[in-house]
Amino acid sequence: MKYLSEWDQWKRYSSKSWERFIEKAREMTTHLELWREDIRSIEGKFGTGIQSYFSFLRFLVLLNLVIFLIIFMLVLLPVLLTRYKITNSSFVLIPSKGADIQCTVYPISSSGLIYFYSYIIDLLSGTGFLEDTCLFYGHYTMDGVKFQNFIYDLPLAYVLSTVAYLALSLLWIVKRSVEGFKSNLIRSEEHFQSYCNKIFAGWDFCITNRGMADLRHSSLRYELRADLEEERIRQKIAERTSEETIRIYSLRLFLNCIVLAVLAACFYAIYRATIFSQEHMKKEIDKMVFGENLLILYLPSIVITLANFITPIIFAKIIHYEDYSPGFEIRLTILRCVFMRLATICVLVFTLGSEITSCDNYSCELCGYNQKLYPCWETQVGQEMYKLMIFDLIIILAVTLFVDFPRKFLVTYCSSWKLFRCWGQQEFAIPDNVLGIVYGQTICWIGAFFSPLLPAVATLKFIIIFYVKEISLLYTCRPSPRQFRASNSNFFFLLVLLIGLCLAIIPLTISMTRIPSSKACGPFTNFNTTWEVVPKMVSTFPSSLQSLVHGITSEAFAVPFFMIICLVMFYFIALAGAHQRVVVQLREQLSLESRDKRYLIQKLTEAQRDMRNRLD
Amino acid sequence: MDQVSSLPALRVNPFRDRICRVFSHNNVLSFEDVLGMASVFSEQACPSLKIEYAFRIYDFNENGLIDEEDLQRISRRLLNGNDVSEDLLTDLTSHVLNESDLDNDNVLSFSEFEHAMAKSPDFMNSFRIHSWGC
Repeated sequence: MKYLSEWDQWKRYSSKSWERFIEKAREMTTHLELWREDIRSIEGKFGTGIQSYFSFLRFLVLLNLVIFLIIFMLVLLPVLLTRYKITNSSFVLIPSKGADIQCTVYPISSSGLIYFYSYIIDLLSGTGFLEDTCLFYGHYTMDGVKFQNFIYDLPLAYVLSTVAYLALSLLWIVKRSVEGFKSNLIRSEEHFQSYCNKIFAGWDFCITNRGMADLRHSSLRYELRADLEEERIRQKIAERTSEETIRIYSLRLFLNCIVLAVLAACFYAIYRATIFSQEHMKKEIDKMVFGENLLILYLPSIVITLANFITPIIFAKIIHYEDYSPGFEIRLTILRCVFMRLATICVLVFTLGSEITSCDNYSCELCGYNQKLYPCWETQVGQEMYKLMIFDLIIILAVTLFVDFPRKFLVTYCSSWKLFRCWGQQEFAIPDNVLGIVYGQTICWIGAFFSPLLPAVATLKFIIIFYVKEISLLYTCRPSPRQFRASNSNFFFLLVLLIGLCLAIIPLTISMTRIPSSKACGPFTNFNTTWEVVPKMVSTFPSSLQSLVHGITSEAFAVPFFMIICLVMFYFIALAGAHQRVVVQLREQLSLESRDKRYLIQKLTEAQRDMRNRLD
Repeated sequence: MDQVSSLPALRVNPFRDRICRVFSHNNVLSFEDVLGMASVFSEQACPSLKIEYAFRIYDFNENGLIDEEDLQRISRRLLNGNDVSEDLLTDLTSHVLNESDLDNDNVLSFSEFEHAMAKSPDFMNSFRIHSWGC
């Protein structure tokens, strides 16, 4: 028997106790997971598709919380410490040189005796008493915070916090979607929902409820029948004659033009609504009736929500005539709705941008933007984002309260009427709900630059939505026979979120680099554009570091870098293609081997028979 | 064995008789057998263990291979309907064999089953039991 030396014994003991410690820590962290019990019970009652929606919602709550913490640490904390005199620091205010004195005029509405309803309007639209608070960009009109030993560069911190939260969101989403993408890449599209997967892993062994089990049986029946149907349609498509193909393609072209026309009409409606709302917002509050005022303030949000209600119905009707296979139909409809939802926000922001930089007479050359109407344009963009977010929350609450619950009530208690029986209880529509929360998250990403507290508002909003949706699901929905597979859905949700992030980065980059920052408010009064802070900071570096940075950002570096990345990508694509061919070859080889084996066994039995016959 | 079949975790499972049969010795389930069953179905069990036991559960005629007859019985249990047509079952069986039968001998050996389950994205999520009690 081999005895271990003292050193080996101690090593083994310490590694074992380290493993035990890691296990215990992991167990404790799973208990800290937010809403673990709720999500588990939803999974047991409604299946893994709906559970993945709620896990996605929880992920967004955490993401927004972390974004808010970043902004709080970098921007809010020094300002609050100084304002409430917690530390011995003061604001650094550098008077602007070179800019016209007219650009720095910022008329803040006086807060005298106001009616109560204008208080409510201010709360819902971010104007009035909320405009000057730390909710919006205009509050941070300082060039630095002077602590005892150093000066904290607030403009630089503001830009860095924006870049940091965008980069963090991108990295976190990519990390989460890597697992889904890996399994998506390995198998080709047809085999993703393969029959093996459905037959051998189709039954969820966690099911303990008889009702849930019946539901699972029916959903398996539906899925397998749908798959076989899809196979039949695919064969039919492959057998199409050439004139039928031409007819189908021209029909599809025509219908895609209709889709584009519908999108253009919606975008134009949003454009006009935004311009109308901006023009009439300047009237005095007392001169307007309460309802009219709120309507005008919320007009862009209302038009966007109406467009988002109507267009999915139109798209669903159109796609019937395009004659695709059922799986592709669903995917194309969802893609169109995603594009519609996210593009509406971009149209809104671009309309605002064009309003801000367009002026009919001289005032644009003075300050670079329309100073008369928008003395502090970042705050006003922030207010639009704030209004969109609040309106979105109100709509979700209103739909749950005034549509879902009455529908359930009517279907349960007035089921004698055929109309209600046909209508039926509602099902939890996963794609629509996911688009709703991705829409909210995109607004948060765009708005967090203009309104630093917006991520905190978004966190609260998503927490409220979680509980509202959970209650609505438990009390008003019936489980759908068409189950969304969890492995498919996680990747789909994160893909849509990534599209939202990319669409959110575009307006932010344009407003940070193209539109001149306001000279009347905000930390960038001494700079031409927001992004100018970074070159100024780079110019304070030592000269070797400066030349390095200039080298990296010049064209002489960027173009070869881009070409090398393209080459690397082509190499990996070629490698994947080669591996695919090798797999096909190996499969053929395997079947050949088994044929060889059978042939040899046949020969062997024949030879044995011959030998037995000869012996007899 | 009926007592274990009527546990809440297994009560509605269409394969509960196969599960009890695979984990029992001499038609009786002892404490160690139930412990083994719980550990195979737990979340921390390794994939190869789960795949091995899944193969034994799905092999209805216990000949060490999953053949067409086994596949038809699995499909019938999964669909659990009285109106399941023979065509549907043969279609499904042929598709499964098309995808996973690599050596074209019309039966699924253990290595072919293992390969198919390694590629399947839902297997690890489905083949587990969270809680056994009520």
